[in-house]
Amino acid sequence: MGFVASVARETRTRRSPVPDTGRRAIRDVQIKDNVHAKFLARISANALKNYGSRLSPADVGLTDEQLVGIFHSQVLSRQVDRMACKLRAANEGYYTVGSSGHECNAAFAEAFRLSDLSFLHYRDAAFQIHRSKEVAGQTPGWDLLLSLAASSEDPIASGRHKVLGSKLLNIPPQTSTIASHMPKAVGAALSIGLAKRIEFTETNFPADSVVICSFGDASVNHSTAQGAINSACWNAFQGIEVPIAFICEDNGIGISVRTPDGWIRSQFADRAVLRYMPVNGLDVLETYKAAVAAEDFVRRERKPVFVHMHCVRLQGHAGTDVQTSYRTREEIDAIENQDPLLHTAATLIGNGILTGDDVLDTYNGVEETLARMADEAVKRPKLESPEEIMASIVPRTRETWPQTKVPADVRAAAFAEDELLMGKPQHMARLLGWCLTDLMLQHENIVIAGEDVGRKGGVYGVTRKLQQRFGADRVIDTLLDEQSILGLGIGLAHNNMLPIAEIQFLAYLHNAEDQLRGEAATLSFFSSRQYSNPMIVRVAGLGYQQGFGGHFHNDNSIAVLRDVPGIVIACPSNGRDAVAMMRECVRLALEEQRVVVFLEPIARYMTRDLHEPGDRGWTAVYEAPEEGSVVALGDVHTEGRGTDLAIVTYGNGYYLSRQAQKTLLEIHGVAARVIDMRWLAPLPEEALLAAVSGCRSVLIVDECRRTGSQSESLMALFAETRPNVHAARIAADDSFIPIGAASTLTLPGRESIVTRALQCIESRGTADC
Amino acid sequence: MAAVKKSALVVCPGRGAYTRSELGYLLRNHAGERDLLGRVDAWRARGGQRTVSELDAAERFSLATYSRGDNASLLTFACSLADFRSLDSDAIEVAAIAGNSLGWYTSLACAGVLDLDDAINLVNTMGNLTHKRRIGGQLVFPLTDEEWRPDAGRRERLDAAVADIRQRSGCELYTSVILGGIAVMAGTDAALDHLQREGPQGPGRFPMRLENHGAYHSPLMKGVRDAARELLNPGCFTSPSVPLIDGNGRIWRPGASSRRALRDYTLGTQIVETYDFSAAIRVGLRELAPDCVIVLGPGDSLGGAIGQILCEMGWLGVDSKIAFAEIQESRPFVLSMGRAEQRALAA
Repeated sequence: MGFVASVARETRTRRSPVPDTGRRAIRDVQIKDNVHAKFLARISANALKNYGSRLSPADVGLTDEQLVGIFHSQVLSRQVDRMACKLRAANEGYYTVGSSGHECNAAFAEAFRLSDLSFLHYRDAAFQIHRSKEVAGQTPGWDLLLSLAASSEDPIASGRHKVLGSKLLNIPPQTSTIASHMPKAVGAALSIGLAKRIEFTETNFPADSVVICSFGDASVNHSTAQGAINSACWNAFQGIEVPIAFICEDNGIGISVRTPDGWIRSQFADRAVLRYMPVNGLDVLETYKAAVAAEDFVRRERKPVFVHMHCVRLQGHAGTDVQTSYRTREEIDAIENQDPLLHTAATLIGNGILTGDDVLDTYNGVEETLARMADEAVKRPKLESPEEIMASIVPRTRETWPQTKVPADVRAAAFAEDELLMGKPQHMARLLGWCLTDLMLQHENIVIAGEDVGRKGGVYGVTRKLQQRFGADRVIDTLLDEQSILGLGIGLAHNNMLPIAEIQFLAYLHNAEDQLRGEAATLSFFSSRQYSNPMIVRVAGLGYQQGFGGHFHNDNSIAVLRDVPGIVIACPSNGRDAVAMMRECVRLALEEQRVVVFLEPIARYMTRDLHEPGDRGWTAVYEAPEEGSVVALGDVHTEGRGTDLAIVTYGNGYYLSRQAQKTLLEIHGVAARVIDMRWLAPLPEEALLAAVSGCRSVLIVDECRRTGSQSESLMALFAETRPNVHAARIAADDSFIPIGAASTLTLPGRESIVTRALQCIESRGTADC
Repeated sequence: MAAVKKSALVVCPGRGAYTRSELGYLLRNHAGERDLLGRVDAWRARGGQRTVSELDAAERFSLATYSRGDNASLLTFACSLADFRSLDSDAIEVAAIAGNSLGWYTSLACAGVLDLDDAINLVNTMGNLTHKRRIGGQLVFPLTDEEWRPDAGRRERLDAAVADIRQRSGCELYTSVILGGIAVMAGTDAALDHLQREGPQGPGRFPMRLENHGAYHSPLMKGVRDAARELLNPGCFTSPSVPLIDGNGRIWRPGASSRRALRDYTLGTQIVETYDFSAAIRVGLRELAPDCVIVLGPGDSLGGAIGQILCEMGWLGVDSKIAFAEIQESRPFVLSMGRAEQRALAA
């Protein structure tokens, strides 16, 4: 690290109290706010004709106190929105997307249970505030202010993002913007019934709990939302338990784009098994009534319900969004006149529960209190070093996890059909299948899920016989939707199960990849390690398939995974390693709660021979758990001791390089060693540097596309740390893979590796680099 | 335009507050509170007990007499409530009320949850019950250093001793009150004897047994709880006029609090479970951010505990005893009405 950089880093890491001087008192900040002015004017003048509910609290089973409590939550939510704008104006806050107009969602917090896991829309502050009242010692206003001020004391994200969320309140932190929380919400709902069916009792959610998932009307157009609702219905249609309440908070607009009138109803009112419940979400009593009905339905029937909550968006999308650029003054005025807080206030006044003065006291009192709180909140510590920020990328290590001692007869029974084969060398597909069998015997919380993994046993037979051994609830044939598969995985993980999800082909990961990138990988980060979703995703991929060609079955880029902080990418090249590495991955998930991608080179599934037909050089005898070799995260393998050249590679590249190694020695007299990285992320830097030690030339053989492949990181690694080592690479061309005989033309092959190796040694000889 | 009022978190002390130096507190500060004192005294007289005025006006203080539950409770309550009534309402806006232990009952009276007679009845009944059915006791351990910084070693030694002693026959131990940097443990006499010897020692006379105190806020009080439910009228609870913060850190808001839940907590939960005074103060400071904290009299012993809580939270930048003293000097934040100079800022 250069001198300037290291000074900069030191300056950043030095902790100093936030200077108090020159700070503008938040209570003195004024913002223009028509909604606020209208609220005060109407209440003061008692101009509440046309406001308020036709119902009384008693009509819907609420006490006066409960309704006042909901009103307080709504007011606090509203005033937090206003405070966000003041903090922004004072340059003390960073986020102004609010909940104004959606505050009736507090009624759902009243109607549902604290233990019902809730994946919330970002406009659901009132829900979170109201739910917090079920737990003593909560400080919802303070917590939201810390979040707005990006303080490291924010109890959910520690200043990493302004998110709703709370461990104690069963609200995982995420955003609903792209509806990417919906597939996992459905997964979590599915996990509740699944746990019962497989008699797994160490769950995080009670057996009679349900899942809440809220989102906006614009977000519902995302494939994630469509897929999640589809998946919920697809499962419920077959009688599978899916206790989820979808709450669509329809304010009619997504930033500036209108949702066509009637669109949401037209899409969801008439879907098989989906109970549709429209409600006027400006009227808190009607909303509560609908919430109670939805709660009762979903808890009793264990089927999905879709609550269509009509509300309004007061203010712009965020504080910086000027809505006059796309809405007329008249429209804005009309919307502002539909303020749900005015309706709740009118209901309270109309029922003689509060007076207008009481309402104003509450409203103004909360504002004054929040202003005092904000003046303190902005002084709380911030994140001040990269180390602090990154401290929650990797989840917390657990001390215990579900594990059973497998009796010998149980194991023998499970393997009875394969007994004769087990003493003989086998290819990777079969070894992996046996490994999964052992793991499922050892860990009753492992559930395998994917397309064709069950009855068919996987496209390449890896999961053959598993469904027969463990039943259709532990080896699940899912619907054909990768987002739903990964969502199911995350949801199961939320409920303390260990999913091993399968993506059938690497090319099909990309339409679902955000479930890993944006959801699974960020959960620990945005929850300060309070939440985790340990899981393994098996992905069959990479090139060189002889029979089944073309890009869609031979994708050779994993760039989309490589840059995701915290994710582990394992890539075994052979069956023996695959078994040891899968066991290590299960340990990583169970113990370290990691999100792991297990990339299986399809072309090596059935490979038996290495150098010549019948040599059986690529098979291995299955090693039982605890007797087998151990490959820990970051362990690389080195084949040969040659010092003329070190070939660094993985997957198919390792197989081809082993062939090249023989040619290099026997034909060209070059003694090379071949290093199998095994772990592509995090990059095993130390182990690789140790493995190439003694070699002045390094050749990187990468079967993935040149751009974005691991070869880029490896070249950088050697250039930065071993300037005296000559490093070169051979990687796949930046092309998609064609079908048929041409399928390997853009990829490294044994011959091209040999050629490049010889060039590499030669150029070192001349340049002596 | 009227001056802006100072918002205050009002804190009602527990029954250990009336100490030797407080003798004559009512006489000195509340001679004019005829109605309050008259009703308290009348209640005592009807039950054949020494009146509060008499106790307050006595020549001599005797720990044996004044620490007894049946005497200390109502005496402390009367002093606190009289202090509350004397707050300068032109200058002070009560943002919320919290209490410590007995102080919870006082806060119910301050917030109008109970009318005066019902509050007197509750306090005196609980005082009598805890005296008559005294079981076990309380033992106090400081868990910070002299500068109020947490001393992890002391905490570990206490936890280890507690875990060990709990295994022994006849030994029950519980956390009774979490009071800033102090842990108040409740338990059977045998358990407390062991803990006094085996827990962290010092400074000075600590660990200290509290004279005439029972194993409050622990399951050993189940008998007292059941008796209280029999003796007290559960219908007398109403909604608070200002937010109350209980010993779990729960805020009971005006108009939004279930009277039944408030009663169940008062005559149930808080009698038999840990009273987390620190949580109450923490929640009060964060969720109401008052301009000051007013500790009602008698005495000023909670001031230190609150200072320690500020220290734990880093509130107002306080991170040590010295920093707290500096704040108190330059712009007093914790005003103890038991101290004349601070009383003047509130009353």
